[in-house]
Amino acid sequence: MLSFVARRVGAAAGTLVLSSVIVFLAVQALPGDVATQILGKDATPDAVAALRGKLGLDQPAWERYAHWMRGALHGDFGASLVSSRPVGGEVATYLGNSALIALVTVLFAVTGSIVLGIVAGLNRDRWPDHLISTVSLVGMSVPEFVVATVLVLCFSVALPWFPAVVLYGPEASAGRLLPAVWLPALALAVVMAAYIVRMARTSVIDVMASEYVTTARLKGLSTWRVVTRHALPSALLPTLHVIALNVAWLAGGVAVVENVFNYPGIGKLMLSSVQNRDLPVIQAIALISAVIYVVCNLAADVGAMALNPKLRTGGRTR
Amino acid sequence: MASIVSVNSLSVSYRSGGRDVPVVHEVSWGVAEGRTLALVGESGSGKSTLAGTLLGHLRHGSRITDGSVHVDGKDVFALPARELRRLRGTTVAMVAQNAGHALTPSMRIGRQIEEVGGDVPVLDLLEQVRLPRPAELARRYPHELSGGQQQRVAIAMAIAARPKVLVLDEPTTGLDVVTQRSVLDLIGALRDELGLAAVLVSHDLGVVARMADEVTVLRSGRVVESAPTRRLFTAPQDPYTRRLLASVPRLDDAGLALVGETGEREIRPRAVLSPEAEVAVSARDVTIDYGSSRAVHGVSFDVRRGEVLALVGESGSGKSTLAWTLAGLRTSSGGTMIHASGDLARLAGKRPLDLRRRVQLVFQNADTSLNPRRSVGDAVRRPLRFFGTVQGRTQAAARARELISDVRLDPALADRLPAQLSGGQRQRIGIARALAGGPDVLIADEITTALDVSVQADVLRLLDDLRRERDLACLFISHDLAVVRGIADRVIVLRHGVVVEEGPTEAVFAEPGHPYTRQLMAAALEPDPDARPLAADVADWADAAEPDSVWTDHGHGHRVRRWRPVTTDGTVPTERTVTTEGVA
Repeated sequence: MLSFVARRVGAAAGTLVLSSVIVFLAVQALPGDVATQILGKDATPDAVAALRGKLGLDQPAWERYAHWMRGALHGDFGASLVSSRPVGGEVATYLGNSALIALVTVLFAVTGSIVLGIVAGLNRDRWPDHLISTVSLVGMSVPEFVVATVLVLCFSVALPWFPAVVLYGPEASAGRLLPAVWLPALALAVVMAAYIVRMARTSVIDVMASEYVTTARLKGLSTWRVVTRHALPSALLPTLHVIALNVAWLAGGVAVVENVFNYPGIGKLMLSSVQNRDLPVIQAIALISAVIYVVCNLAADVGAMALNPKLRTGGRTR
Repeated sequence: MASIVSVNSLSVSYRSGGRDVPVVHEVSWGVAEGRTLALVGESGSGKSTLAGTLLGHLRHGSRITDGSVHVDGKDVFALPARELRRLRGTTVAMVAQNAGHALTPSMRIGRQIEEVGGDVPVLDLLEQVRLPRPAELARRYPHELSGGQQQRVAIAMAIAARPKVLVLDEPTTGLDVVTQRSVLDLIGALRDELGLAAVLVSHDLGVVARMADEVTVLRSGRVVESAPTRRLFTAPQDPYTRRLLASVPRLDDAGLALVGETGEREIRPRAVLSPEAEVAVSARDVTIDYGSSRAVHGVSFDVRRGEVLALVGESGSGKSTLAWTLAGLRTSSGGTMIHASGDLARLAGKRPLDLRRRVQLVFQNADTSLNPRRSVGDAVRRPLRFFGTVQGRTQAAARARELISDVRLDPALADRLPAQLSGGQRQRIGIARALAGGPDVLIADEITTALDVSVQADVLRLLDDLRRERDLACLFISHDLAVVRGIADRVIVLRHGVVVEEGPTEAVFAEPGHPYTRQLMAAALEPDPDARPLAADVADWADAAEPDSVWTDHGHGHRVRRWRPVTTDGTVPTERTVTTEGVA
């Protein structure tokens, strides 16, 4: 069991190192020289050379990578080319704001969609199933910015319950941002929930048709006990990885939705950094996204182990 | 005697594609207290559906259209949900077909038994089903148990609340013969001990003959015949029952039994093999490993053209591993395997086309080995084109139809998908596909295991016809000694990857020399309620083979691996040469 976890953690660390290399190389491969970019086309060669030296651009790539990684491990991602402030602090502020949306989304979307999926699966081919399946299918097919816009039309314009856009900067406190969190979270939840609902429904149907659930029923157990004790642990297993992928998807999904709502989150920062060619910020955000993906999948693997004794006992048979 | 179970003109329908498909028609039967009734039939007879109704269980989409089921005086389908739950477990309990699938994988054994809610402590129950070290076992998960142990746990679960009726749905299908024997003995003992009435659902007439007091034969959801066990087996009235009984292979058949429409049995004499018959495959000291564990230890044999060589053993004996290796699906780790036209040590993909064409495998499960989205004609046509046996599209199609009629099927079936055929038809297509390349070696890996007994008789006959017509060398893998008895010319008995006995079929069956062979024969159940199963004569034995004297030779190629008896107190009696009479 421990060796399984150790192997998974090792693989996760390896993935992270690899993705940091890819992120670094991808940024290096961007066309154009950073120093020229900063100083403008009319800069003298001397000035460009001086800036290159200051930024460390005259050193070989692997040394710059090592330097960047050493800093990143200590939370130092260099300074923003636009604001000259430390990237680490800036990213952390925006990330915190996004985490607020993500937290609300995950909390409601995951629990809600698992429950809906189970209800649909247990009522297979009856009206609750048809209703849930149809709605989730619609949610899956509509892009998140459309969902976001429709939500704004309904709940900000027609019914002025929530703010349509955020008027605060990134430094606003969580309490001030909270009213603005609900609509973006809802938009993301609608899109995300669809996948989880469908997956949970399918696996609940599969497991409910399995011989061991039939056996449990024929033992005279109550439906509640059959579902919670016998069916759910196995039914949640395949759903777990879909949840992990969706939570990780949030990292990208927020970018679009945050822009619709002008929410000062990581997605917004990413977009503006790309527009401003603020390379240290882009690098930092890309690396953080990779960390989020890896951590989500690691969590799913460990969760799967909790639900599946075959993994826990190391595949020992007989 | 009062009837504890009574089913009155029950009809069940399955809703499919907007119309009702009847699966059970006006069936009536009953069981008296303390008696055992067997519901016998082939697949699609409705026997499992009927068994489920005793617990008020119907499959998704099925419903009762007429009649009623009474258990212990209660109308099962009229009970409110709460009382139905109480009925299940406490009055009537079920042991499901495949314990490996019937136990919840994420729950410990002890918990699963406990939640039935009887008064008997879990550990007592585990002891009652003769499981060793109950305290430790109760903390295990189902996948940590062997198939036989899982079935015992399922039985413990069924008797936990001390029910009055036990429903056994194919309780030993999928278990090895030796394990099957011990599970049946256990069920018999518990039934008598607890005074249970039992309903046994089975397709295996040997099991039924051993366990049941009365038998009801079902076919397509109708009762064909109902009689006390002895009368049914000695004087079956209905032609279908007669045919079913005649189809069961017996340990004392001197050749393949050919079964007529009304159940007459004719034994076809064995094919006489010419002494000059060419050796098709020659294996010497073949060793196969699965990672660090050795599945096959130094097995040697020859198969000649026109000969059927059977590899017999329980699951885990390495017989299928050997078959797959010969077919080139696994690599061997030692020894040689030579075919008349090339080396079989290489994987199929690396063998020359001609060699690949000559050695063909027929899979155990035709349902899963045929592509569900391709017509069966296509499945036969592809190897034809691939091996270049025929040129051109139209010729290949014509040859495919010919092959399909060679396996005694209507060539018009060529356009069907595998799912539209019956199990027996699919297995014939599997054979036709293997024959397409024009092989001279056919490896048949448990090809009749998944088939109903009457279909099995037909497929065995087909295989016997084909090897005579085409002079095929056939390697027949099976766990069933009675099946082997009819079809094989020679037998190799494998245990844990080691050959313990080999020889001509007649000699091995007449004078089995190794205690393991005798144990297998003793465990085989004959469809005869008066058959006294052979007692395994030696309780335990140890291997006594030494490098220079591995075998005891009985002449005519019949040889037995040396062994010595071990007494229960662990002492080893003085070594002696073991004769065919066994140990006195």
